[in-house]
Amino acid sequence: MTTESQANDYLARLRASLTGMTLAEREDIVQEIQMHIRERSSDPQTSIEGILAGLGPADELAQQYRTGLLVQKASHSISPVLLLRATLRWATTGVEGFLVFVIALCGYGMGVSFLFLALLKPFLPQYTGLWVGPGEFSFTVRMGGTMTNPASPVHEVLGWWFIPVCLVLGSLSLAGTTKLIQLLLRRFRWRVPFVTTTNASPAMMAL
Amino acid sequence: MEQPHLTIPEIETADKWEAQMRKGCLEMAVLASLWHGRLYGLEILRVLERDSRLVLAEGTIYPILNRLRAEGMVQSQWVEADAGHPRKYYELTQSGRDRATRMAKTWTEFSASLSCLIEPVLNERKMEQTL
Repeated sequence: MTTESQANDYLARLRASLTGMTLAEREDIVQEIQMHIRERSSDPQTSIEGILAGLGPADELAQQYRTGLLVQKASHSISPVLLLRATLRWATTGVEGFLVFVIALCGYGMGVSFLFLALLKPFLPQYTGLWVGPGEFSFTVRMGGTMTNPASPVHEVLGWWFIPVCLVLGSLSLAGTTKLIQLLLRRFRWRVPFVTTTNASPAMMAL
Repeated sequence: MEQPHLTIPEIETADKWEAQMRKGCLEMAVLASLWHGRLYGLEILRVLERDSRLVLAEGTIYPILNRLRAEGMVQSQWVEADAGHPRKYYELTQSGRDRATRMAKTWTEFSASLSCLIEPVLNERKMEQTL
C-alpha cells in the first residue's frame, strides 16, 4: 500500500466514524488531519506508519471529537436525552463516569415517576397517593388501601393535593438533576493519552 | 538522582497520579501556548513539548482544540501557507485569554502554597542523599 493510499484509507475511516455532526464540521476535521499528515510527511525521516500511529486509530480519534462535542453541547443543554447520552459516554471511561450516569438515571427516573403519578391520579384516585401508616410513607399506586376506608392502618393523606405536590416534586427532580449533571459535565476531563513523559515509559503513561 | 525504593504498585500509582496531574493542566497549557499569537496544531504540539515537556499523542491535540473552539475559547482560520497547503491556525478569543489568565493565577497560587508544604519532604530527601 502506498503512502498516499494509506493516508486516504485512514481519512476515509475517520470520515465514516465522525457521526452526529454536520457535513461542514466533518469535512473541516478531516481536512485538518489531512494537512497534519501532509505536514508531517514533508519530513523524510518520518514514515506514514509513524504518523498514523501518532494520530491513533481513526475510530478512536473520531470518538474523542464526538465525546468533546457531545459533552460541550450537553453541558449547556437542558435536554435529558442529550445529558443522558453524555453521561453514558462518560460511564464508559471509568467508575467516576458510571456513578454520574447512575445519578442521572435515578434523578430523571424519580422526576418522571412523580409526573407519571400526577397523571395517574385522575384515573385511579382511590389507589394513587401519599400513603402513610405504621412503617409506611410512600408516593405510590397502592392496590390494597383506599381513601374510603379511613380505619385502615395505611391511608392516603393528600387527596387531590397529591397532583400539585407530585408536579412540583417531579419538576424539581428533573431541574435539579439537569443542573447537577450540567455542572459535573463542565468539570469532565476525558481521557487524554500522553505518549511519553520525562521519566516514565510510554505504556505506563498511557491513560 | 537516586530514586526512592518503590514497589511496582507504588510506581504505577505514582505514574497514574503524574498522568492525572498533567492531564489536568493540559487545557491551561494549550491556552498558554497561544498567548503570543496564532499557531496551527503541529506548532502547538511543538511548543508544548519544548516549553513544558508535555508530549501528547499527536491526535489528541485536535479534539481538544475543537472543543475549545466550540466553547469560544479559541477561534480558527484556514490560511494558505508557504508549505504549499493550507494550515488551520488557532488564536485566543477574549474569553480564552480571560480563562488562561484565571487558570495561570490559580495554578501559581496553588503551586506556591503546596511548595511550602512539600519543602520539608524535599529537604529530608536531600539530607538522606548527602549522608
